[in-house]
Amino acid sequence: MDRNAILNELKKVLAPYTENKELLNGITEETDLIKDLKINSANLVDIIIDAESAYNIEIDFDSAEKMYLVGNCIDVILDKMNQSA
Amino acid sequence: MISTGNDIVALGSINKQRTCEPRFYSKILSVAEQQLYRQPELAALPFENYIWLLWSVKESAFKYLKRNNHQLIFSPVTINVLTVNAHPDQHYSGSLQFGLDSLFFRSIITNDWISTVVNGEDNFEYIFNDVQLIERDDYQYQSATVRKFALDKLNAFFDGEFELEKSELSYPVLVKNGERIDTPVSLSHDGYFVACSFNFNPTVQ
Repeated sequence: MDRNAILNELKKVLAPYTENKELLNGITEETDLIKDLKINSANLVDIIIDAESAYNIEIDFDSAEKMYLVGNCIDVILDKMNQSA
Repeated sequence: MISTGNDIVALGSINKQRTCEPRFYSKILSVAEQQLYRQPELAALPFENYIWLLWSVKESAFKYLKRNNHQLIFSPVTINVLTVNAHPDQHYSGSLQFGLDSLFFRSIITNDWISTVVNGEDNFEYIFNDVQLIERDDYQYQSATVRKFALDKLNAFFDGEFELEKSELSYPVLVKNGERIDTPVSLSHDGYFVACSFNFNPTVQ
């Protein structure tokens, strides 16, 4: 799975927690989940758990704290997918 | 360090079942914090409310610390809640640690929300914190309403005409006559509730 495919899958993970679907469709690797997408910080744990299920990976504390930009999320997901391959 | 940090959790928005799954709460609470729940004085507090209580404490602490530690990233398990004390009428207090910083909290739990404010000393005499029910739960409305709520409180409290700006690091800054004021303000919103806190310690006015 390449970065673009992960980005497209990530949009599905973020969708239930994003009010503005137009913003979601236009996300880039520089998009900040809280500042740009206005995701409630209380939903960050939900997003991590949903990502774990979607990609069949486990995201540890150190990795989870890096997941504030979309690009960081893709880095973590790719890293964990490679570890479990 | 003079700051303030608050948080509000709308209990109507939480998923109780998911909250109580170990894979969820273990991303918020350390093992020591999970054991803290077993103390007898918390027996009447549902576990899901305990988890979100500690979440609100950690989020408030993050806001308190971020004002003076610009590189800080929110990571709940790195903020350690050390004590949680229950008081009458669903009031809670306690202490927490982040690195070398010791902080203290006061929280209230109702049927609808959990509200927390964090301070750098265990004395909340100069800390204002309040909650308001709002009509809509979309982001734009929450954001506009929490600013109006805070300004109404601040203008009444200080008898002034303040404005709120957003700092480069996204925390609110109080402005009067075009000049930034050193009174720290914190804003939060979740669901149909908004909350604000400010530190009116006279040494920083």
